[in-house]
Amino acid sequence: MRRSFPVEDLARDDRFVRVPMAVRLQDGRQVPREGPGSRRNGGRLTPDRPDSPDAARLLMHGIFMGEVQALEGAGRTCWDFDTTGEPGTADSDTPDVPFQLKLDMARQCWDEARHTEISCKLTAHMGTELGEFAEATFLYEAACNPDPVLRLTGVNRALEGLAIDVFNTMREFGQVSRDPVLEFCEDWMLADEVTHVKMGSDWLRRLTEKDPERRERALEFQRVVDRLFSLGGFRGEDDDSPVRLARRFRELAGFQSEEIDELADVAREARHEAEDQTRQNRAAARAAQPTS
Amino acid sequence: MASAGTSVGGVTVLPESFTLVDYDAGAIAEVAARLWEKIGLPAELPLRIEVDETTPLGRAYVLAVKPAVELAVESGAFEHLHQPRQFDPERTADVLGRLLFRLHDRLDPAFGDPPPDTELPLPASTAWDVYAIGRLSRLGFVVQRPRRHYQFRVRHGFSDHVDAIFAQLWEAEGLDWTTLQALSDEAASAA
Repeated sequence: MRRSFPVEDLARDDRFVRVPMAVRLQDGRQVPREGPGSRRNGGRLTPDRPDSPDAARLLMHGIFMGEVQALEGAGRTCWDFDTTGEPGTADSDTPDVPFQLKLDMARQCWDEARHTEISCKLTAHMGTELGEFAEATFLYEAACNPDPVLRLTGVNRALEGLAIDVFNTMREFGQVSRDPVLEFCEDWMLADEVTHVKMGSDWLRRLTEKDPERRERALEFQRVVDRLFSLGGFRGEDDDSPVRLARRFRELAGFQSEEIDELADVAREARHEAEDQTRQNRAAARAAQPTS
Repeated sequence: MASAGTSVGGVTVLPESFTLVDYDAGAIAEVAARLWEKIGLPAELPLRIEVDETTPLGRAYVLAVKPAVELAVESGAFEHLHQPRQFDPERTADVLGRLLFRLHDRLDPAFGDPPPDTELPLPASTAWDVYAIGRLSRLGFVVQRPRRHYQFRVRHGFSDHVDAIFAQLWEAEGLDWTTLQALSDEAASAA
């Protein structure tokens, strides 16, 4: 079985359609932040938003696809690296990882498989068909880093950290819309995500204990992934961020307050960058329009 | 000078051409004209649809009823869910069908006198949508019953009785506003 499986080769049936990030970034349309055309109550997912059931459906489908990719990513990490000290497994092309790390990843696979099933049922509960919305694959792409430390930092601290924020948002939506199924399912999955983030933090510390340079590279990779996962301000601490940083749960997962502050700054920068990009796209689209 | 728009029958769509999305005003007008006829709206009443292509959101609402019906639609409402910025005729029929059935009710004296859309409470508005989309499905258009069911539950609660009222609204014909509102109130109090 080959190592470092490319994202293009992930198995999907014909219900699923992928939209590359580059295509999404070409969109010249923009949601105004205030005034006519802006979202009611900012972008936050609350039942008094007329479109909140559909917004929750879209987010839930994104969670489902994320769980599938998280399972694929953790599964790859069990396979892609050699195990330290095990005779007959050494492969000079790949770095070694402790056997215990693989066990953690195997446990995470178990969690992600359960989350995939739960998300599948929640998607149906919310009236959505699997594949109804397009799939974004950047979650799995973060799980393709050839360095296991960078991979775990990007996936378990950045991606699973995003999962904490998203699950907490959905759990709150379940609470206020009096949907016990959504609330409980999200609460249980949220507890697992806290564990996954903590695994990432622990392995980052242990594997880079004597290698500060590698630790810094891993943290830099995490910042890059965090910026990407801020989705142009979709996740952040502004009043109108649809998904808010879940500070309390992040602290439980081992994040320092300063790290969360830094993440809020990264999200704000990502938002401004996305707005600039949209302005450029719009100008380009207008410039391409034939003059009459 | 403002564009005159693209017209099919009594339906006019603005803008005539799009720059930020790959939509065809004529295709939008054709979907609307087909719905207009099937729903049984008066042929002499003109319809004007203004699409705001600057936003990816998907809101759609009635701006005016007379002397011409005017609808305002954000571009995301007509967009294909798998192909960014591409037109989806099925979603368009779902969005416009909901609005036009509600318009049909407003023009029917037997329906009663519902408050303007801007003053409708969300639960009652959602109940009215269920009634509209149920009828749209019986005209042969593609609709998403589970999606409408979830929307109804979010507004009214998650219980068997709420589900029974949803089914009643979905299957209904010839409701008036008073009955519709009473069913919505009953569902909200049953959860």
